[in-house]
Amino acid sequence: MQRRSFLALGSSGLAFAKRRQPAESCECSFFQQAAPVGSDAFADVHSGLKITNLKVFGVSLTPQSDRPYVFVKLETNQGLVGWGEGTLEGKAGAVMACVNDFRDFLIGADPMQVEHIWQSMYVHSFYRAGPVIGSAISGIDQALWDIRGKALGMPVYKLLGGPFDPRGVRGYYHVFAGNREQLAQVRDTAHTLGITCLKSGIPGYYEWIERRPKIDAAIKSIQLQREVLGPDIDIAVDFHAKTSPSVASIIVKEVEPLNLLFIEEPCPPENVQAMAKIARRSTTPIATGERLIASYGCRELIEMSVVDILQTDINHVGGITGLWKVAATANVSSISMAPHACEGPIGGLATIHVDAAMPNFVVQEICGQVKPGANDKIWEEWLGFPAMRMVDGRFPLSEKPGLGFELSEASLAKYPFGGTKPMARVFHEDGSVAEW
Amino acid sequence: MRGFGFQAAAVASKPSALDITEIRLFPVREPVSGTRYSLLRVKTRSGLTGWGESAFDPAADLKSLQSAWLGKPAHTYAAIQPAAPFAAALDIALLDIVGKSCNAPIYRVLGGPTRSKVRSFNSQSVIDLPEPLSRNQGKAYQNRILSLVEAVPANRDFVLAGNGRLTPGDAASVAATVERKHPMWFDEPCPHSNLEAVRKISGETVVPLAFGRGIRDAAIFQAMLREGLIDLVRPEVSFFGISGSRRIAALAEPYYVAVAPRHDGGPIATAAAIQLAASIPNFFIQHVPLPAAPEDQAMRREIAAPDLETTRAGFLSLPKTPGLGINVNEAALEKYRAA
Repeated sequence: MQRRSFLALGSSGLAFAKRRQPAESCECSFFQQAAPVGSDAFADVHSGLKITNLKVFGVSLTPQSDRPYVFVKLETNQGLVGWGEGTLEGKAGAVMACVNDFRDFLIGADPMQVEHIWQSMYVHSFYRAGPVIGSAISGIDQALWDIRGKALGMPVYKLLGGPFDPRGVRGYYHVFAGNREQLAQVRDTAHTLGITCLKSGIPGYYEWIERRPKIDAAIKSIQLQREVLGPDIDIAVDFHAKTSPSVASIIVKEVEPLNLLFIEEPCPPENVQAMAKIARRSTTPIATGERLIASYGCRELIEMSVVDILQTDINHVGGITGLWKVAATANVSSISMAPHACEGPIGGLATIHVDAAMPNFVVQEICGQVKPGANDKIWEEWLGFPAMRMVDGRFPLSEKPGLGFELSEASLAKYPFGGTKPMARVFHEDGSVAEW
Repeated sequence: MRGFGFQAAAVASKPSALDITEIRLFPVREPVSGTRYSLLRVKTRSGLTGWGESAFDPAADLKSLQSAWLGKPAHTYAAIQPAAPFAAALDIALLDIVGKSCNAPIYRVLGGPTRSKVRSFNSQSVIDLPEPLSRNQGKAYQNRILSLVEAVPANRDFVLAGNGRLTPGDAASVAATVERKHPMWFDEPCPHSNLEAVRKISGETVVPLAFGRGIRDAAIFQAMLREGLIDLVRPEVSFFGISGSRRIAALAEPYYVAVAPRHDGGPIATAAAIQLAASIPNFFIQHVPLPAAPEDQAMRREIAAPDLETTRAGFLSLPKTPGLGINVNEAALEKYRAA
């Protein structure tokens, strides 16, 4: 264990950086005060560790990537650094700018006060958090937890009270099998690797009312999964919000006999009651949440018992702090967690720590396949180990402090930021906008 | 709404090129079917002519519409009171004028086109549910419907039309019977006024439910959307016009509910529906109420446009000319004038 001396420094180390005062141009006189209340309240309980620098990296695995990773690095006065990820697909530039907008919240702050800093970033953003602010907070929050773990000499999952299962965190890969033969190959590889769960999608794009051939094709594609993958692999099917409640209800009801692990995002996320319409007419478990921010964003879903499984993403929901709180809230309502992860390796590794400490954890996503892809190779090159590859169907837990990896800026330099690129834009036969 | 009306009045006090100078009604009748609809012609100071269509209504008071709108500028179409006589026809006609004055199809004025062609269906795709021989006759009736549905080839779509005639029990059991045949939707399984029955049907099956015929108040759609009771909203174009239907489409959007506008009238209403379809994101399909008799079809082509209601591979084409994109043949209107 590498306990650092700063913990003994107590308050002697530093005074708080001068906090920005409310704008004087605002004529709302009730905002004006001589100094921000409470800005020096922590002088006596300060850890001695202080954030000295904030860096944000856009990392494009290919120049055309629509989802450059957004990595956040925090440096401290004691040489400890923390890494986090706030990748937001299609909006990399906005998140990178937003991370920098939080600079004044961070420089000079005590990184051990992650809960306090999170609150300040969320509450003092005034408008609360949508996906851009949520992803920026997520990247910063993960970096703060990385520092905390390193400072306290413990892996983050132990700080969170885990692990529930020392063997690791159960996960699933994605299946992109176009036909029966490919599906059979995936099944055989999965059995060899000890993979117990797989996820696929449904073909094509759907209007809010659909024609019979498309609905029949969707049902058949799901039936084929069960038929070929067999009874021993848990199957999840991601509708990816391509369907309306009306169309999803028909498909979900037909596939009830297949005993799927869950149907994911059967309709878009804005209308909780619309999703309830699907859930109340089927016994198939419903999962959603990858686009939701903070526990506030999930409250209505949980309260109304609309879903069985929540899938908030550590890179958007508000980092480790945000994901842990969603899990805690969901657990009270007997709702399980299957966190989403389809971005870079930092968020992936961070989410494993939270998963390991959730009483209501089911399974962890990673957007990889049973056969390693090009990104898996790059991740290993960066981190020195095959990050986000399962062993016996589980993501192994690290014994190293913090998030459990070292990363050099130099290794990222090979993949410079290619700029923000839009996500896929798809259209129906008549040219109208489709969901994908 | 009221506030906007006052603003419109204030604007109207200063003469402008788009001021309405004439509003005239042309009720017409299809020779064989006898179906009647009311066409409205509006002229402006600048000499532009706009056409609209409403359901036939001999009792409606054209004079009150004229006194409310003569002298008002055509671009204040949003201020039309939904309950005004011939409100739909006036809305469509004023938008026709606005489009012509901008030299743009209506869908371009309204922010489209949101699609390049307009999916359509006709009565051949509709299974009109026969009147039950008695109320709640149960299995015998369900089997009768099932045999009608099974006669449709598996690759063809169909709509079940209940015409608001079934009891809640019959409607729900029919829906359950055909559920796995995937009807495109079940139109008006029960009267729209019986929300409790709609709740029952919607709760017991996943067959998409559609309502629209006879609905005269957008709040009825809202009440159904709020509870997730409706899967397809079908505003009547010849009652709500383009603007009113577009507002209902906007209302349905946050519920992920599609729009299939309907009308029982003539080609001007179809022309309006095509413009509407290309102006909204959540349009799904348009019913074209083509009459069976060739004489009636010829009349529709004659008074509006030859290709307007012709489908190609299941789609109607978008007109590219300004306004509604049709030239109404006034001489032909005289020929088919309704008594």
